[in-house]
Amino acid sequence: MTLYADSQYPVREDLDAVHAGQLDQLADPGTWGTGAQRLAIAREVRQACYDSGLQEEPEDTGPLSDVELPESVCATIRKLAVAPKDFVEDSYEEARNGGLTDEEYVEIVGIVSRLTDMDVFARGIGVPLRPLPAARGGRPSRVRPRATKKEMAWVPTVPNLPEGGEEAAEIYGEDYRPYIIRSLSLVPDEMRRHLELEEVQYLPMKNVFVKDFQHHEGFTRAQVELIAGRVSALNECFY
Amino acid sequence: MAALLDPEQDSGVPGGGEILAFADAVIGSDRAALDQARQNLADSVGSLAVPAAAAIAATFTKNDRIANAVGIPSELKMLRNSKEIRAELGINGFRSSASTFKHYPDER
Repeated sequence: MTLYADSQYPVREDLDAVHAGQLDQLADPGTWGTGAQRLAIAREVRQACYDSGLQEEPEDTGPLSDVELPESVCATIRKLAVAPKDFVEDSYEEARNGGLTDEEYVEIVGIVSRLTDMDVFARGIGVPLRPLPAARGGRPSRVRPRATKKEMAWVPTVPNLPEGGEEAAEIYGEDYRPYIIRSLSLVPDEMRRHLELEEVQYLPMKNVFVKDFQHHEGFTRAQVELIAGRVSALNECFY
Repeated sequence: MAALLDPEQDSGVPGGGEILAFADAVIGSDRAALDQARQNLADSVGSLAVPAAAAIAATFTKNDRIANAVGIPSELKMLRNSKEIRAELGINGFRSSASTFKHYPDER
C-alpha cells in the first residue's frame, strides 16, 4: 500500500516513499524535540492552515496530542505556516525572546517547512491530508555540529569547506553549497530531510545547473521553473 | 519573467497560463478554484503534469519558508546577475530582501 494510492494522478514511487517516511518520522524523537513535541508542532501547523482556509481538515487526522506548546512557539509556527512573506527578523527575535534556542528554532522551521510542503503536495494532487502518526518514545539526540558559526544567516550554520572541516565534508560532500542548502545545518537531521525532499520533488542537486535537465516525466524544466518562480513570488521570497 | 508577478502576461512556456493558475490556487484558499485549475492543467499539459507541478509547488513552499525564517542572504554572484530583473519585477521590495541587503547594501 502506498501513501498516495488514492490519487487520481500517478505519483512517482520514490516521492511516495520519501513522503511516507518523513511523515512517519515526525513521530520519532528528533534532535531537540521529543516525538510528542514534534507532532504537537505538526498539529499546530495543520490547525493554522485549516483556520486560514489554506487546507481542508481531513476526516482522519490521526491520534490527538496531549502536548501543549507555549503560546510564543505556537505564534511562530502559525506565522511561518500561513504567512511566510511576513516572517522577518523581528519574528525570529520574538521566537528567541519567547525562550527557544537557535537549535530548537531550526528544528521547528524544518518541521513546519517540510510538513507544509507535503501537505501542499497532497492538496495539489487532490487527496485529503494524510493522518499524522502516534508519537513514539525516546529522547532527542541533542547532536550539535561543532563547526557551526554565525555566518550571514540569523542562525548559526556549518560553513562550506575548508572552514567547515570534517563536518562540512560529511554533510555537504566536497562541493560548495549555497545558503539554501546550508540553512538548516545547525540541525543536520533536518537539513538532510530538507534535501531529501529537494532531490525527489525538484531535481537531483547534481543536475541543478544542467539547463534542460528534466526530472519529471511530462513536465519540462521551463515549466518547472515557471511554477517555482510563481510560488516564490507569492511567498515574497527574495532568495 | 514578468508573468511571475503578473500571470495575465504570456510566459512563453507551453501551458504557462494553466501552470500559473495552478500555482496560485494550490497555495491559495479557494478549493473550487484549485479543483478547476488542476483539471485545466491536466487537460492542457497532461495528467503527469499534476503531480509534477504539485511537487514543485511543494518544494518552494518549503524552501521559501526556510529561507525567510532563517534569514539567509542571496549569494553575491546571483545577486549581481539579477540586478536588472530584480529592478524590473520589483522584487527588491519584498520584506525578505532585508536579509540580503543588510549584508550587501550596494547591490540593490
